Amino acid sequence: MSAIVSPVRKPLITGSKSYHDITEDLISPTEKTPNALWVITFLMSISLLGFGLFCIAWTIWNGIGTWNLNRTIGWGWDITNFVWWIGIGHAGTLISAILLLFRQKWRTGVNRAAEAMTIFAVICAALFPGIHVGRAWVVFYFFPYPNTRGPLWVNFNSPLLWDLFAISTYFTVSLLFWYTGLVPDFATVRDRATGFRKSIYNFLSFGWTGSAKHWQRWESLSLVLAGLATPLVLSVHTIVSFDFATSVIPGWHTTIFPPYFVAGAIFSGFAMVLTLMIITRKVLSLEDYITIEHVESMNKVILVTGTMVGVAYLTELFIAWYSGYVYEQFAFFNRALGPYWWSYFGMMFCNVLSPQFFWSKKIRRSLTWTFFLSIVVNIGMWFERFVIIATTLARDYLPSSWSYYTPTWVEIGIYLGTIGLFFTLYLGFTRVAPVVAVAEVKSILKSSGDQYVGPNAHKHVSHDANKHGAGTTVDIDENPETKI
Amino acid sequence: MTKPDEIVPGVATYYASSFVKGGDYCPVLVKTREGRPIKIEGNVLSPLTKGGTSARAQASVLELYDVNRNKMSGAIGENGAITGMSWADLDKAVMGKLNSGSKIRIVTNTVLSPTTKKVFAEFQAKYPNTKVVTYDPISSSAILEANEKSFGDRIIPDYHFDKADTIVSFGADFLGTWISPIEYAAAYAKGRKINAKRPKMSRHFQIETGMTLTGSNADNRVLIKPSEMGAAIATLYSAMGGSVSAPKLNAKATKALNKIASQLRGSRGNSIVVSSSNNVMEQIMVNKINEMAGNLGKTVTFTHGSLQRQGIDGEIQNLITDMQGGSVDAVIVMDANPAYDLYNSNKFITAFAKVPLKISLSYDVNETMALCDYIAPTHHYLESWGDAEPKRGHYSIIQPTIQPLFPTRQAEASLLTWAASGNYKADAEQPYYEYLRNNWNNSMFGSQSNYASFRSFWDETLHDGVANLGAAAREYTSCAASVNAGQITQPSNAEIEIDFLESVNIGAGQYANNPWLLEMPDPVTRTTWGNYLGVPVKFDGKNTFVGFKGIGANMVKGYADVVNLTQGGAEDATPITAFPQFGQPEGTVATSLGFGRKTCGDAGRNIGTNMFPYLSADQNGNTQYFATNVEVSDIVDINYDFPCVQYHHTLGVTAKDAEGKEYNADEAALVDFSYGVVDQGYQGSLTNRSVIYTTNLNDLPAEIAHIEEKRAEAQHLNSKTLYPGHEYLYENGHHWGMYVDMNACTGCSACTVACMAENNVPVVGAKEVSRHHEMTWLRIDRYFYGDADNPNTAYQPMMCQHCDNAPCENVCPVAATNHSSEGLNQMAYNRCVGTRYCANNCPYKVRRFNWLDYTTADIFPANQIDLNEESVPYGADNLTRMVLNPDVTVRSRGVIEKCSFCVQRIQEGKLTAKREQRKLRDQDVKTACQTACPTGAIVFGDLNNKKGELNKALDHNPLVYIALEEINVQSSVRYTAVVNNRDESLDA
Repeated sequence: MSAIVSPVRKPLITGSKSYHDITEDLISPTEKTPNALWVITFLMSISLLGFGLFCIAWTIWNGIGTWNLNRTIGWGWDITNFVWWIGIGHAGTLISAILLLFRQKWRTGVNRAAEAMTIFAVICAALFPGIHVGRAWVVFYFFPYPNTRGPLWVNFNSPLLWDLFAISTYFTVSLLFWYTGLVPDFATVRDRATGFRKSIYNFLSFGWTGSAKHWQRWESLSLVLAGLATPLVLSVHTIVSFDFATSVIPGWHTTIFPPYFVAGAIFSGFAMVLTLMIITRKVLSLEDYITIEHVESMNKVILVTGTMVGVAYLTELFIAWYSGYVYEQFAFFNRALGPYWWSYFGMMFCNVLSPQFFWSKKIRRSLTWTFFLSIVVNIGMWFERFVIIATTLARDYLPSSWSYYTPTWVEIGIYLGTIGLFFTLYLGFTRVAPVVAVAEVKSILKSSGDQYVGPNAHKHVSHDANKHGAGTTVDIDENPETKI
Repeated sequence: MTKPDEIVPGVATYYASSFVKGGDYCPVLVKTREGRPIKIEGNVLSPLTKGGTSARAQASVLELYDVNRNKMSGAIGENGAITGMSWADLDKAVMGKLNSGSKIRIVTNTVLSPTTKKVFAEFQAKYPNTKVVTYDPISSSAILEANEKSFGDRIIPDYHFDKADTIVSFGADFLGTWISPIEYAAAYAKGRKINAKRPKMSRHFQIETGMTLTGSNADNRVLIKPSEMGAAIATLYSAMGGSVSAPKLNAKATKALNKIASQLRGSRGNSIVVSSSNNVMEQIMVNKINEMAGNLGKTVTFTHGSLQRQGIDGEIQNLITDMQGGSVDAVIVMDANPAYDLYNSNKFITAFAKVPLKISLSYDVNETMALCDYIAPTHHYLESWGDAEPKRGHYSIIQPTIQPLFPTRQAEASLLTWAASGNYKADAEQPYYEYLRNNWNNSMFGSQSNYASFRSFWDETLHDGVANLGAAAREYTSCAASVNAGQITQPSNAEIEIDFLESVNIGAGQYANNPWLLEMPDPVTRTTWGNYLGVPVKFDGKNTFVGFKGIGANMVKGYADVVNLTQGGAEDATPITAFPQFGQPEGTVATSLGFGRKTCGDAGRNIGTNMFPYLSADQNGNTQYFATNVEVSDIVDINYDFPCVQYHHTLGVTAKDAEGKEYNADEAALVDFSYGVVDQGYQGSLTNRSVIYTTNLNDLPAEIAHIEEKRAEAQHLNSKTLYPGHEYLYENGHHWGMYVDMNACTGCSACTVACMAENNVPVVGAKEVSRHHEMTWLRIDRYFYGDADNPNTAYQPMMCQHCDNAPCENVCPVAATNHSSEGLNQMAYNRCVGTRYCANNCPYKVRRFNWLDYTTADIFPANQIDLNEESVPYGADNLTRMVLNPDVTVRSRGVIEKCSFCVQRIQEGKLTAKREQRKLRDQDVKTACQTACPTGAIVFGDLNNKKGELNKALDHNPLVYIALEEINVQSSVRYTAVVNNRDESLDA
C-alpha cells in the first residue's frame, strides 16, 4: 500500500512510529502505576470534588438561601456554570462527528480525549439544573411519564424542558459515540492484560475479536452516530440559548442567540480541549500523536469562532441601538457600563481580543501562548455567561427592583466542586482508557504518519518528509519488518 | 360539646371594634376564624375613616399573639424579672400601699375612651390626690396650648383637607403619622383624584426638612432647615399681612412663601394651613394665618374637634420634678413608656426610682415597665371592652373578639378594683363590660334621640362599632391670642441640623415590637428594620449624583456607608448607617424616631438607634423634634447588610444646564467615566419607560396625547402577535382585573401589611431583606421625578399583574404556575420545583422565592441556619401562628409565591353567591389591599362586568395605562398617570 503525501500537509504522527510503538505508547499508561504528579493532581481534584459535594449538601439541606441570589437575580453562578460547562462539552462531538464527516484526519489524535471531556463537562453541567432548584427532591417532576398525579404532564412550552431533552439526548449520543470508539481499544488493552483485569476489559470490549465483520459494523455505527451527533452539536446550545431567547427580558430576548451560543460553545470547547491536551501530551509523552499541527488546527477554529462571537457581541450592540427599544438599549448600556462593567470588559478582552493573537502563525504554534490563551478564552466564556445571566437580570424593566449580586462561599464551592469532578473523571479516564484513539490513529498512520514518507523512513528522519516533491509515491510494503 | 351559634367552622365572623393605641385610632372590623382574630378590616360605617385603615391598624392583630407580651401579674425584681403573683395577692399588695392621702400619678398617653376617663374619676374619688398625667411621645402640645390661647378651647381642630384647594403644611405629616392620618388621607385624596375631563386638583405645599410621607405627596416642597420652621411660619404670616418681623429665612423659601401667601389670599376659605410645630407661638401664627385666609369655620372647624392628641409636654415634666422632689407616693404607668420616649428620659428614670410604689399596667415589655415594682398587665384591645371618642361627638366601641389568651386584666378593671368602686361588680361574668354598658346608659344614651330604648341603642352601636351622637356647635372665626415673634424658634447657624421624623411604621416606638411593621419598607426611604440617616444628594450638573460626604456611592450594590453621629461635642459617637435621600435640604440630615428600644420584645429590641436623647425642649417645655448640636463624621465604615428594598430611586429627574434649559439628569448620569474608569455612581438610567407616566396638571393634554401615542404604538406592536385571536378565552365568565389610582395612592403601605396578614406572607428579618429576600407580595415602588434637587414622588403599588399572556407561565417546566379561566395567574405550590425561571422572566419582578425555610413548613425539620439568629423564624412559633389565615397555604422552602388577587376571597364570594343562588355582584369580592386602602386607590373587579366599579373607573379615562404594555404580556392591572399640581414658579 502506498500513500500520496502532500508536502503541504505536515505529518500528523511524528516520531516514525510503527503500529507496535503506537500500541505501546498509548496503552501503557493504563498499565503502569501512576506517577507522583498524577497522584497529587488526583488528590487535589478529589478534594475539590469533596468540598463541592459538601456545598451541594449544604445547599439542599439549608436551601437556596445559602446562595446570594435574590428576588431580582434568580440565576447567578449556578446557571452561568451550567451554560459554561455545556459550552465546554461541545468540542468533543464537533471533533468526532463533524470532523469525521468532513474527513479531517487530524481529529484522530484528539477526538478520544475531547469526547471524554465532553461527557465529563456535560456531567458537570447537568448537575446544576438538578441542584439549583428550590426543591431538589422533586426534580423528577421534570420528566414526562405517566403518573398518579392526575396524570399531570410537564409543560412542553417551557424551554427548560426542551433543555432537559436536548442535554439528555446529547449526553446519550456522546456517550455512545465515545464508547463505540473505545471498544476496539479496550480489546487491545484486554489482549495485553492478564487475570481479573483481562476479564474486565473483555467485558468492556464486548468480546471484540477484530474480525472484518466487527470492523465493518463498527465503522457503520460510527458513521451513523456521527450523522446523529452532527445536528446535536448545533441543537444543544441552540436550545440552551432558548432558555434566554424565548424570555421577555431585554438582553435575553434576542434572535441572534442560537448561532451566537453555538459559536461560543465551540470556541470554549476547543479552548478547553487545548488546555487539557497540552497538559496530557506532556504528562503522558504523547507529543508524537498530538502534535503542533493539532494545536494549530484547533487554534484556527478558536480564531474563527472567537471572531464570530465578537461579531455577535457587536451585532447585539448595533441591534440594541437600531431597535430604538429603550429597555434593550439600557440593557446593553448596563452590560457595558453598569455596575458589572468589569465582567463585560473581561468578556470582550478574553473572547474577542485575545483570540486575535492567533492570526500570528508563531503564536498559533506556540504551546505556551496557546495554553495561556486557552485559559483566557475559558475565563472569557465564563464572563460571557455571567454577563448574559446575572448582569441582565440585575437591571431590567423596573428600576425599583434593580439589585446586585455577589456569590457566597457555597456557590463558589459548588463551582470548584464541578472543576474537581471534571478533573477527577478525566484523571480516572487517563488511567483506564487510552487517551488517544489507538485504532483510529493506526488507521491514519500510513497516510499521515511520517515514517512511511521518504526513503529514509527507517532512519527516523521525519523532518525530511518535506523534501519530497508533490506527488511523491512511497511504497510502505517495502518494509516487511513493520510491527503491528 | 355544643357548638357556639355564631361559629361555623370555615366561615369567618366579623366583629366591629376599634383599634386604639394612645391617640392612634381606627374603627375596624375584626375577622375571626374559629374564634381567632386573624385580620383587621376597616369599618365602612365610620364617617371619619370610611373604611380605611393604616399599616399600624392592620398590623395590630399580630400584637395579640406577641410571644413577648406580659403574660402574668406579678412583682418586678431588680433585673426586670417577674415573680408571678395572683391577681388577689397583687391587689392586696397594691391596695395595702395606697391610702386616701396617697399622692398618686397615672401616667398615660392620650386616652380616647370616655369610660376610661370615668374610671380615672372614680379612682380620684377614692384617692383624691391622684392626678392623670397625659403626654404624647410625638406631641401636639403646642397646638392644644395655642388653641386654648387663641380660642379658649384646648383641642385639636377638625381639619377638612377635602374642602381645601390649597393645602399648606409646615412639617405636618398628616398622611402618614400626624394626629389622624387615615381620616386625613381619605379627605386629601378627594382633592387629588383627577378627572381628566374636568382637571382640577388641590395644590399642596409642604414646608419641611426631612421628606415625610406627606411631603413626598406634596406638589411643592419648600426646603428649610428644621430650625427655620418658626421663621418660615412667621414669613408666611407676615406675607399674609400679619404684623411681625420674621427671622431670616433662606431666600428661596422666603420667595416661595410669599407666593404661597398670595395663593392663600386668592382662595379665601378654600385653603388650609397646618403645622406640626411644637412651639406655641408658631401654632398661634398658624391660627392667625388660617384666620386671615378665611379658613376658620370652613376648613378648620372645632365642633368636632379631634381628641386624638391630648398630651401636654409640661405635665410629664412637672411629674419628673415632683418625683425628683419626693412628693409622689405612687405612679401607675398605664399606656406610656416615658423611660424611653422623652427627650430627658434619663431624668425621668432617676426621678422615677424615688417613687415608693410604681405599677405598670403595660400590655408589652417596655423600658418603663422594667423599672416598676408591680406589673398588672392589661389585655390586648382585641380581648378588651372599651370605647373611644376620637372626635367630639364621634363614638366608637371596642369589643373583645377572643377570650384573653393569658391571665391578664384590663387596665380599667385594675384601677376600678384598686379604687374599690361600688359601680364595678368584680364577680360579674364580664365586669368591665357591665361597667362600660352602664356608663353608656348613663352618659351617651341621653345624648341621642334615634333610639328609644337603651338596649336597641346599645345593640346597634355595638353592631355598627361607631356612633355619631353629635356635639354642641363650637366655632371660632378669630384668633384672640397676640403674636410675639420673640417666642418662636430662632434659626440656627449650625453647619448641620438634624430633623427627627415619626416613623410611619412604628410611631415613636409604641409599635417597635411588631415584625410586620418592621419588615414593611418605610414608604419614603424604602428601608426596613431600623432607622437610617438620610443625607442630602445633589446632581453635580454633569453626570453624577453626589451624596453628602460621598455617602451612597455604592448604593447600587446595596452597600451603605456608616457615619458617626455626635451630639454636642460628646465623646461617644453613635455609628449610624447613612443613605442619600432625594429632596433633603443641604446642611441637614434626617432620621426616624422610635427605634433603638432596649427593653422590648425580641423583634424590636436593639433595632436601629434611639434618637430621643437628641431631642430638646423649647422655653415652654415643649419637645422639639430637631437638633442643631450634632456632627456628622466622614464615612467610617460600610454596612454590607443594609436592609433597603430599593437601590435605584429616580425615574425621570431633571436638571437645568447653564442656559437654564431642562435636561434629563437620569440619562446624563447613565455613564460616568472618571479617570478612564467606569464609575457609575448609583443613579441613572434611560427613562422613557412605560412604567410610570408623570405630568404637571398644566401639561395634562400633552401627557394624555403622549400616553395615547405610546399605548397605540404598543398595541400596534402587540397586534403583530404570532398567535392572534385568543381574546375570546376570557370573554365569558369573570375576568378579574385591578385598577390602581396612583393619584390617590399616598404610599402609606396599609395595603402592604394587609397583604402580609391576609396571605400569610412570612417575615424574613433584616439580614434577609438586605439580601433582597423580602417576601412581600405587594410592594409600593417609589420613584422620584422632576427637579433632581427637589423632586416629586410617584408611588406605584406593584403586585402580580395577572398577565393574560403571562411570561412566567410558559417557562415553568412543570406547569406549576398557570392561568385560570377567569384570568388569574395561579401558583400550585406543591407542584413547584423552584427553578425560579418564572421570577426571572417576570417583567414586574413580583414573584417571591422561599429562599430559606421562613415558615418552618419545610419537609426537613430544624434546617434553619441561624436565620435572624433566632431558634425559630419570625412568626413560626405556635402562638404567632394563630394569626395565620387558614384559607391560605403556608408556603414551604424552595417554592415561588406571589399575589393571587386574594383568590381565597374570590372563591369565598363565589361560594356565597352560589349558596344564595344568585350571581356574584360587583364588589362582592374585594382584595385585602383594596379594603385596607384609606384613599380608595385600589379597585378590584370583573373586567367583564361592564357596569362594575372597575369599568366605571377605567372607562374613557385617558390617564389609564398598562405598565410595560409594549411587551404584550397583557397585564390585568391598570394604572393612572401621576399628575402633580406643582407650582413651577416656586422653582424659578
